[in-house]
Amino acid sequence: MLNASRALKAGAILLLAAGILAFPSLAPNPYILSVGVLVLNYAALSTSWNFVGGFTGYISLGHGALAGLGAYGTGLLVAKGGLPPFLALFAGATLVAALAVPIGFAALRVRGASFVIVSISLVLILLLIFQSWASVTGGSRGLVVPRPFDLSRPEHHRVFYYLFAGLLALALLVWWLIDRSRFGLGLKSIREDEDKAEALGTATYAYKLIVFVVSAFFTALTGGLYALWFGDLDPVFQFSILTGSYLVLMALLGGVRQLFGPVVGAIIVGTALEYFKGAYGDTPLHLVATGLLLALVVLFMPDGVLPAVADLFKRFDRTQSSSIREVTASELRDERLKKAEGAAR
Amino acid sequence: MPSGALLFQSVLLGLLLGGLYALLASGLTLYFGIMRVVMIAHSAFLILAAYLAWWLHDQAGIDPLLSMIGTVPLFFLAGVGLQRALLTRLRPATLTMMSVLLTFAIALLIEGLLGYAFSGTQRRINLGYGSASLEVLGARVAVVKLIAFGLAVVALTTLYLLMKKTRFGWALRATIQHRDAARLLGIDTDRVAGFGFGIGLATAAVGGTALSLDTTIYPSLHWHWIGPLMAIIVVGGLGSVPGAAIAALVLGMAQSLLQIPMGTTWAQTVFYVALFATLAFRPQGFFGGRLAQRF
Repeated sequence: MLNASRALKAGAILLLAAGILAFPSLAPNPYILSVGVLVLNYAALSTSWNFVGGFTGYISLGHGALAGLGAYGTGLLVAKGGLPPFLALFAGATLVAALAVPIGFAALRVRGASFVIVSISLVLILLLIFQSWASVTGGSRGLVVPRPFDLSRPEHHRVFYYLFAGLLALALLVWWLIDRSRFGLGLKSIREDEDKAEALGTATYAYKLIVFVVSAFFTALTGGLYALWFGDLDPVFQFSILTGSYLVLMALLGGVRQLFGPVVGAIIVGTALEYFKGAYGDTPLHLVATGLLLALVVLFMPDGVLPAVADLFKRFDRTQSSSIREVTASELRDERLKKAEGAAR
Repeated sequence: MPSGALLFQSVLLGLLLGGLYALLASGLTLYFGIMRVVMIAHSAFLILAAYLAWWLHDQAGIDPLLSMIGTVPLFFLAGVGLQRALLTRLRPATLTMMSVLLTFAIALLIEGLLGYAFSGTQRRINLGYGSASLEVLGARVAVVKLIAFGLAVVALTTLYLLMKKTRFGWALRATIQHRDAARLLGIDTDRVAGFGFGIGLATAAVGGTALSLDTTIYPSLHWHWIGPLMAIIVVGGLGSVPGAAIAALVLGMAQSLLQIPMGTTWAQTVFYVALFATLAFRPQGFFGGRLAQRF
């Protein structure tokens, strides 16, 4: 039984990976391809968010600001500092990670409520600074980031599609490694019961801070890559409270405890967002739609779609769902024998 | 060095602004005390009340102050409904985090619907007494600002008397202090919590009316309010009403005074600087008790 469900899982993951890799050759036009890049950007951001949200249960509404910082850091280093694009990308992300240390220091001293408040304030204060400090950031006129490659538009999208896919894979790998590590166990114990975790000797404050910095690094890396791809930054969009809420919505919808939850959520929500923008233009209704969806997910599906789907499969697989299983005596004897063998060894 | 008259004017304006902040922050503190909920939608309801006041004035010529007869009970009921129908549905273990998301979603809904109904155009009420001002010891203060401050003072005093002198206020404070003990004493804590939420939202109705008197409003304005308000409740100590009121007055005054050398935009950063400094050096806030240390 375990093997069957494992094979199913592996198959689904392979299908997802193949679908993501094959998408550029299947996309009918550059616009669809650019939507694909955007969705991957969301997936990478939302996976980065999930380092904090999924492991520790601390919900940050300010990760959009960290991505914006990464974008501006990279953009400024390229446009004003004259650094090579990809060196600037890593330098920018490292700077943001360094900045995340004092932010996390203040935000994580106490429990959840203050963290959320700081995360929202971060967006608001950075928007204020980047709009007002026009001599450096370009203010509302925006910041133009030179393109790293001399390519046609479709080729440019294609290259960045694979770059984003690579970054997403890296973030997923690190998440998976943490998930299986002792460090991850400590983080999850914070999520389940911070008092008990602390009583058992988990260095909760240090754990939270480390994972926040890791999350900030990946978020900034994705933001910087976005800056190199899109080439034009505006504080209103980079430091928008909406970006942060999209990330939360995606991760929650997909399932914060699952490795691929944020990716699935990003594919659903990202595609829906782009469709909505195309069909209805820029009306205030997209706020209504986002708000409604977020409220519904929080109220009725706080664990996400992936666990819901898993439950559905379990319902079909009778042997796992019924509390009283029908077992024949011979099966029971086999089981006992196996256990005895294991104990003897 | 700015002149004495300018300084005095700034102090006066800071005091008036701080009064409004104190009223709104008291609502946020109530929610937090009752249910450990950080109510992001508080300022969205504030703007909603301001829009209702504007709309009633625009359509029917009703004075904004009279619109409170309708909006205050309406918001009270909305608050009770919000607590009874939505927030109690969330799992207790993740209530603080999930309620943030839920109220955030409500804020987005309100902003989107306001934008849809009234468009993103900036609105302002034109009152007969809108441009009148008084001269106090060489400082000029707009009458509408005084009215707004007066509203805040009346509402806060009412809240104070309600909390300290009535049986309901005792029940509410008991519920905030220790829910289980309150229930053992025979207090219907669920009902009291619902009413507490209603009162919190009613302060948003009063505040919104006061805001609509002298401010240009637009749907996304609530983001400019929620940041300072949340900074105030953290600096004051989460859950402490007097702490929030004092922090509101001090920070409102600081903002007003810093506007002289720094300009309006940069002066707003004082709230965030205070927020970060408080969390870094005194995370439980300056007047917070046992409650604030854990959140």
